[in-house]
Amino acid sequence: MTDTTRAPQREATSVDDAGRTPEPSRASRPETATIDAAGHAALDRPVVPLRHPLRWIAAALVLVMLLNFVETLFTNQQWGWPAVGKWLFSPAVLTGLQLTLTATALSAVISFAGGVVVAIARLSQNPVLSGLAWGYVWLFRSVPLILVLVFLYNLGSLYPTIGIGIPFGPQFQVPTANVLGDLAIGVIGLSLSEIAYASEIVRAGVLAVDHGQHEAAQALGLPRRRQFVRVILPQALRSIVPAFVNQVVGLLKASSLLFYVSLLDLFGVVQNLSSTYPTDIIPLLVVATIWYLVLTSAVSIVQYYVERWTARGSVRALPPTPFQRVRAAVRRGSGRGSGRPGGPDRARQAASAARVVASGPASTIDDRTI
Amino acid sequence: MSAAISIHGAVKAFGDTVVVDGVDLSLPSGSVTVVLGPSGSGKSTLLRAINHLEPLDRGVVTVGGETIGVRLRTGRDGVPRWKELPERHILRQRSRIGFVFQHFNLFPHLTALENVAEGPIAAGVSRAVARDRAAALLERVGLGDRGDTRPRQLSGGQQQRVAIARALALEPSVVLLDEPTSALDPELVGEVLGVIRGLADTGTTLVIVTHEIAFAREVADHVVFLDHGRVVEQGPPAQVLDHPQHTRTRDFLSRVR
Amino acid sequence: MSTITPARWRNRAGFLVLAAGVVVALAGCSAGASADTSGAPDGSVTIGAASNGAAKETTLEVTEDTKLHDALPAAVRKSGKLTIGVGALPAGFPPLAFTGDDQKTITGSEPDLGRLVAAKLGLRADVQNATWDNLFVGIDSGKYDAGFSNVTVTEQRKEKYDFASYRQDNLAFQVLASSSLRFDGDPSVLAGKTLSVSSGTNQENILLEWQKELRSKGKDFTIKYYPDGNAVRLALDSGKIDAYFGPNPTIAYQNTQSKSTAKPTTTAGTYSGAGSSLQGLIAATTKQDSGIAKPVAAAINELIEDGTYAKWLAAYNLSNEAVKTSEVNPEGLPLDNS
Repeated sequence: MTDTTRAPQREATSVDDAGRTPEPSRASRPETATIDAAGHAALDRPVVPLRHPLRWIAAALVLVMLLNFVETLFTNQQWGWPAVGKWLFSPAVLTGLQLTLTATALSAVISFAGGVVVAIARLSQNPVLSGLAWGYVWLFRSVPLILVLVFLYNLGSLYPTIGIGIPFGPQFQVPTANVLGDLAIGVIGLSLSEIAYASEIVRAGVLAVDHGQHEAAQALGLPRRRQFVRVILPQALRSIVPAFVNQVVGLLKASSLLFYVSLLDLFGVVQNLSSTYPTDIIPLLVVATIWYLVLTSAVSIVQYYVERWTARGSVRALPPTPFQRVRAAVRRGSGRGSGRPGGPDRARQAASAARVVASGPASTIDDRTI
Repeated sequence: MSAAISIHGAVKAFGDTVVVDGVDLSLPSGSVTVVLGPSGSGKSTLLRAINHLEPLDRGVVTVGGETIGVRLRTGRDGVPRWKELPERHILRQRSRIGFVFQHFNLFPHLTALENVAEGPIAAGVSRAVARDRAAALLERVGLGDRGDTRPRQLSGGQQQRVAIARALALEPSVVLLDEPTSALDPELVGEVLGVIRGLADTGTTLVIVTHEIAFAREVADHVVFLDHGRVVEQGPPAQVLDHPQHTRTRDFLSRVR
Repeated sequence: MSTITPARWRNRAGFLVLAAGVVVALAGCSAGASADTSGAPDGSVTIGAASNGAAKETTLEVTEDTKLHDALPAAVRKSGKLTIGVGALPAGFPPLAFTGDDQKTITGSEPDLGRLVAAKLGLRADVQNATWDNLFVGIDSGKYDAGFSNVTVTEQRKEKYDFASYRQDNLAFQVLASSSLRFDGDPSVLAGKTLSVSSGTNQENILLEWQKELRSKGKDFTIKYYPDGNAVRLALDSGKIDAYFGPNPTIAYQNTQSKSTAKPTTTAGTYSGAGSSLQGLIAATTKQDSGIAKPVAAAINELIEDGTYAKWLAAYNLSNEAVKTSEVNPEGLPLDNS
């Protein structure tokens, strides 16, 4: 390949910023300095991006494995799909599902509120408050949830009666076993444990808020409570929400421990039914899996929208939601579709396009043809 | 409406480093003071000490005759000492002192209007009055039509102008500005300086920490040069900026011009 | 401090509604989800209800014995009901104790006997389900008057509870039909095998004793614990364990149920729940010195006399586990589990 053609303005040597010329050896290497005739001809064609054949092969392999597994779902009788269909919407399973939702919702609300309180206590200047808060978090992150439930449920063994009264005087007492219903005990147990984790999440979120925000709020003379509620917490929510929703999803499963207080949630019902119908053990487990997938997906969707709401000050413009993107794609597709049948429309489009070019910026463009 | 500021024997150390090393200043009501100095000279710390964002180790600041952040108490040993006030008193005092930060520190989740109205609402002003006042202030800084935008959608200069409006919403007697244009792109500095110039014309006591020498010359009544936590030189801008008496002042000015 | 605007009201109202909702939801449910009260005062008791084929549903007439009613402790008499504890959570063990096919009734041979005893004592039967451990804690705390849940009499348990026996306790080894394991009382055939047993039971004590015996001879077997019967079933099916050591009635029931499935099970051998030298006995469990065991035993004896007892066993196909009389605190599995 000889460099017979040289573009006139293409200099073999270049001058850098400081006004010095580079070494002559670099300038004389032909491949960096000139392109030949074939290269010139290729200038008009678009540049071809790098291809990754191996990636496609790997993806195909993974897909094949997945499809193999999916095939076993249909061919392996042990999955028992007819039984899954029978149990998926049965009253017992739905009752258990209701308990899972109720217990999770109640615990989520209580643990968020409690978490904020404990986090504030932990961050306060008062050493007693912050020490107590630290102690609470330490205790309830150490004791496993099932033990919390065990102790609460069997409080009656430790304290047969609960009451208040004048010390060494008359007392009003009530047998412990009857004070709280099972759902209350279960939710309180779940919440006590969750509050410890939630408070750490809230504290992390609050610490993540830029210190300048604290200063600005202080400089405005905002009272402490208003500083926290109006300035700090809304910004902390941005960091808190993903981690907290994580906990809520965990709560969905943790509610399965409620069998310990004689309450059967979704998983408890499934276990109970499995013992009465031992041939349906695996199908019932599949039913539970399906419901957990549905619940977690629902929570994820809610999380997506909550995160958009908390992000409203932090990004210039919110990106379109998947739903909006689908709607836009559909609209684009239908717009194209209405123009596709036949030549006349094409010609009309070309004519209007020509009109646009001819008339310049002050033209109207038919949206539908874009 | 504006107040005089006086600083008596201010000392502040962070760990082993003494950042403010015995500063005495007397700034008359309605004056515009520009504080200059190399980085690390303690000018920001001194400014923040005026509204007790940095509590002093020693010394006291008075604004309009009232000591900020501390009160005099005689201990059981009969020795009078400056004792720190409870936080709610300090917060109330701060609401009469406006502060503008170098990095704006606007509340990102609130609109510009809500940002400006926040201070008055917290201080007990009715919502309607606070919002009207905020709208008027935004108009005054040239952003009357941007009340409903969020800070992220504004340019740096616009954000700082909102921040100034926010500081003014509480009708303070003193406004402190901590390097208000240092975080801005050069082409945006002018619009903010314009607003500050307007502010100076209203007769509010201003204390500005800045590197804008030309601005200082034009707007300031009083220039203070701070180095290593001490006042090296102070006086009218013509004197300090054009005929500095101390070597350190001269060195600094030659570097920043 | 600040004026309240419509937006504010909405926020605050929202918070209050949320808080109120939480409190109401918690306060609302005072009864556990797994209790059922039954027992019409007219003395007719339905046993085998909703049992999904584990028993023939039969209605029996039980006449109250007022003398026994008066012999009950005052607190039980005043409450008018016999709170029966059953340890079938989270999973039951048919045909002994499990949730019926109406997904509500706690059915099975154990709670049914409790219902019959309650009718004989002139009380309503309040059957409550709990985990196995909570059953005993509940008896301790007075939450349950008596536990009818396939509890074996052991000398160790007699230190805390009073028993009224009502059935033989026979254990069995459940294996897959394809297994060659056979057990005839000699634990050495278990060497090298993986076995499963429920924790906290007398069969566990027996198995551990055998393991000690084998270890002293230089051999061993592995014991795996599973949280409930379903998990055991899966483990047996998948080959994770060689055999399950548990109550004979449960295993016999599962064998029948699994006959037509891909992996049928069978019994490899039986053993007495009280060790090699005694016949094991299943008994109603009451708190020591609570005064409930004697009337219960007397009630069971009357049921044996008037034939109701035999009908109950027949309905559940457990006639081979009959006892002649109900004894208070009979001899149980010895402390050294031999």
